[in-house]
Amino acid sequence: MTLSRRQLLTAAAGVSVSGWLGRLAAADAKPRRSVVLLWMAGGPATIDLFDLKPGHDNGGPFRPVDTTAPGLRIGEHLPNLAYHGHRLAVLRGMSTREGDHGRGTYLMRTGVVPSAAGIQYPTVGSLLSKELGDPAGELPNFVSIAPQRFFSQEAYSPGFLGPQHAPLIVGDGQFGPNVPDIDAVLRVADLARPRTVAEDAAATRLDLLRGVHDDFAATHPGGVTRAHAAAYDRAVRLMRSAGGKVFDLTEEKANVRDAYGRNLFGQGCLLARRLVERGVPFVEVTLGGWDTHSNNFDQVRALCGTLDRAWAQLMTELTERGLIDRTTVVFAGEFGRTPKINQQRGRDHFSTAWSTVVAGGGVKGGQAVGRTSADGVTVTDRPVSAADFLATLCRIVGVDPEKPNMSNVGRPIPIADRGANPVTEVVA
Amino acid sequence: MSIRAWALAALMIAAPARAADPATDLAAVIDKHLAADWAARGVVPAAPADDAEFCRRVYLDVIGRTPRVAETLDFLDDKAPDKRTKLVDRLLGTAPHAAHFAAVTRAAWLPQSVAGANFAGFGFQLETWLRKQYRDNVPADRTVRALLEVPYQVQVTGQVGNTFRFVQPVGNDPDHRTIVGFYQANEAKAENAAAAVSRLFVGVKLECAQCHDHPFAPYTKEQFWEFAAFFADLNRVPTADAPPGPQGTRNRIQLPNSSQVVVARFFDGTSPEWNEVTSPRQELAAWLTSRQNPYFARNLANRMWAHFFGVGITDPVDEPGDANPPSHPELLDALGKAFAAGGFDNRLLVRAITRTKAYQLSSRMSHPTQADARRFARMSVRGLTPAQLFDSLVSATGYRESAQQRANTFAGFVQPGNPRSLFLNRFTSTDRPTEAGTTILQALMLMNGQFLDAQTAPDTAELLGAVADIPGWDTKRRVETLFLAALARRPTADELERFSSHVERGDRRKGLGDVFWVLLNSPEFLFNH
Repeated sequence: MTLSRRQLLTAAAGVSVSGWLGRLAAADAKPRRSVVLLWMAGGPATIDLFDLKPGHDNGGPFRPVDTTAPGLRIGEHLPNLAYHGHRLAVLRGMSTREGDHGRGTYLMRTGVVPSAAGIQYPTVGSLLSKELGDPAGELPNFVSIAPQRFFSQEAYSPGFLGPQHAPLIVGDGQFGPNVPDIDAVLRVADLARPRTVAEDAAATRLDLLRGVHDDFAATHPGGVTRAHAAAYDRAVRLMRSAGGKVFDLTEEKANVRDAYGRNLFGQGCLLARRLVERGVPFVEVTLGGWDTHSNNFDQVRALCGTLDRAWAQLMTELTERGLIDRTTVVFAGEFGRTPKINQQRGRDHFSTAWSTVVAGGGVKGGQAVGRTSADGVTVTDRPVSAADFLATLCRIVGVDPEKPNMSNVGRPIPIADRGANPVTEVVA
Repeated sequence: MSIRAWALAALMIAAPARAADPATDLAAVIDKHLAADWAARGVVPAAPADDAEFCRRVYLDVIGRTPRVAETLDFLDDKAPDKRTKLVDRLLGTAPHAAHFAAVTRAAWLPQSVAGANFAGFGFQLETWLRKQYRDNVPADRTVRALLEVPYQVQVTGQVGNTFRFVQPVGNDPDHRTIVGFYQANEAKAENAAAAVSRLFVGVKLECAQCHDHPFAPYTKEQFWEFAAFFADLNRVPTADAPPGPQGTRNRIQLPNSSQVVVARFFDGTSPEWNEVTSPRQELAAWLTSRQNPYFARNLANRMWAHFFGVGITDPVDEPGDANPPSHPELLDALGKAFAAGGFDNRLLVRAITRTKAYQLSSRMSHPTQADARRFARMSVRGLTPAQLFDSLVSATGYRESAQQRANTFAGFVQPGNPRSLFLNRFTSTDRPTEAGTTILQALMLMNGQFLDAQTAPDTAELLGAVADIPGWDTKRRVETLFLAALARRPTADELERFSSHVERGDRRKGLGDVFWVLLNSPEFLFNH
């Protein structure tokens, strides 16, 4: 017996082969939960940002300032963010035990320590966008802006969730304060048809490609062929639809662009707002340069200038546009930095006691949860592990952290480790 | 019967026996087991692969790229009945074979060196050594022994709380310098090295048991640390005051956050006969690679099987246990025994597997019972590794890649202007081959990227330019050559008609560019099947 071509095609097609090159999916009217992860590559000195120790030798020269939330004080170099204090919840008890950039990055972004090999754990953006996103949407569900993947490529991988949950990356490998032509860097690579190919020729090519694809899929049904079809389908839709335009920051007014800061991180945050506005469920924007082993305070002051402006403006615009209640903004890096100031006026890697921040939608703001000792060296109240942190994010956006996904080793693995203890105090 | 006639008859009987090839025998054993399984389950295997399908598959599996036009034609035109066997034998002797197997082995042995820049350098070192091992066809037991027995010492630099452990070879053997990267990439920690060695060479993933008793298999935390104790010399830091002690202290390790000390023990429960001369790692190597140790031979043979079929007989290859039984236990056993009996000759397995009917089945599904990849009733469709993809693009397009570009692709750092670096970065993935797919960015790069654009535009393309401009060819011959280049087969009558008429409708050169673009974006090109 042989299967009919139709039967095999149906089996092979899965979600979208019938739609590829065809009509676009109807616009999804339902407002979606979104997360914007502000990823601080290199390990931010959170002791100088969110858990200051004035009066102690470890505290350094920076002073805390009041925020709009009574009792919540943050670093003096985040003056604009202080206006959003009532929306911020600071987790001061982060304690994660991995002090290497690669391992810490992997741990904070997957919720598990890297093991010699084996299980390919998905990155947080893949985990949450899978739950929150629309598999047939016009835009990708997970966008990573200017990631610095060299610490750990695997920490950016969809792992066992498969390539359909991989991040769409823009500005790959770009970093530093002087990135030329940010507008071009933040566009989707290779989105435009090559100049050598005319529009009608491109359409003909896709027609012919569909023919050979269908022939192959008919006789070679299965997951691999299906994933290939789905990726081409979404790529073509992104090329054809207005969706690609969302990456064109020149559509924004100059004063809006200025308000975010004319640098890669600032413009990345603006892009994040544009993506969230169109329902993209997970966007991450990276700010690197936090590896301040020497001259920590001058470097942190400079980084804060970039961070404060962009983050505060993002909060402001999300509020003005009525998006803040469905958008959670997260601040995290791979670890914090040593309370003790070293001989180069620097701070070294430190994962025992540090801070992260959650803000906006789903967050009970205006508070700090957890406490560190007067010298900042140990967590004295409410310690939070990487798995706890991941489970907390799940709770904030309304996802069950124990929901299992089928892994590459043939057994189900929950989003966050079963022992994880979400910080429910910050969940609205 | 005259003596002469008798002698002739004896010679005729003896001759085939003398020529008997263990690879052919093993291939017959494999086919017998699979055929019995198919019969028992009512599975109808796919049709045999034709020469073109076989040729492309075997090039990808053995040397890591698709065949060039001339190579495909040579094979298709060859009338020798044993040309498939000969092709494999020839490919095994080439440098790209050693390079491909070394790259695949490196990715399996040191996955951390593929995905992150931290360890990329150590991965390249190990790969260099592995390439030599495969080139010289060093038996697998000797390779693994060399890895386990390499003499090293550990230096610790930095201050307390922020130290770096540096593994250095003892002596001046240049091989040792490249091998120690394995231990460095495992962070010079006994527990990491033990977990990797157990997973890679025993086929048992023990690392869960590092922190707690293994949840899915009968391995305890204590068993894990007993295994780790064979690598206790990594954790111990010899100093001037305390040189490495006698055997009595070298074979034991302290559990973390505990005062418990355990002595090295194999996890079948046996112990070496400790002496003052042999180090724990030497004892482990001897036990592991012994022909009587069924784990080692079976696991390595299974990994080789998975390389050629995309799915292991035990799959995942390193998660044995009640929850993950082998699909064909007797076959796995037979493979392991034949591998050990053959002196752990990797090429024996390659020759045997590629001679089987199973490997030579088509990937085209012709019956619903072929859907389960673990019955091996049709060849599975597998994703290409990033290097396989780029090497195949080079092979198909005729792109002249400089040696400098080829060598200079440091993981994690993209080099603008180096297409290999751009491709490897965009396509790096840790997916299993039978689950690999494509991402949106990968699809965009293949459709619109600079490299493919240049190679599908007749004015800039190497092979396409020649095919478009060669005088005297008709359209069909040009289209056929593009099929041979991209898909290593001739087009069907229908395809030839469809694509030729497209080319003849407009500008011939541009039309041929369209054809080549379509073929290079097709799943038939992008997957091994």
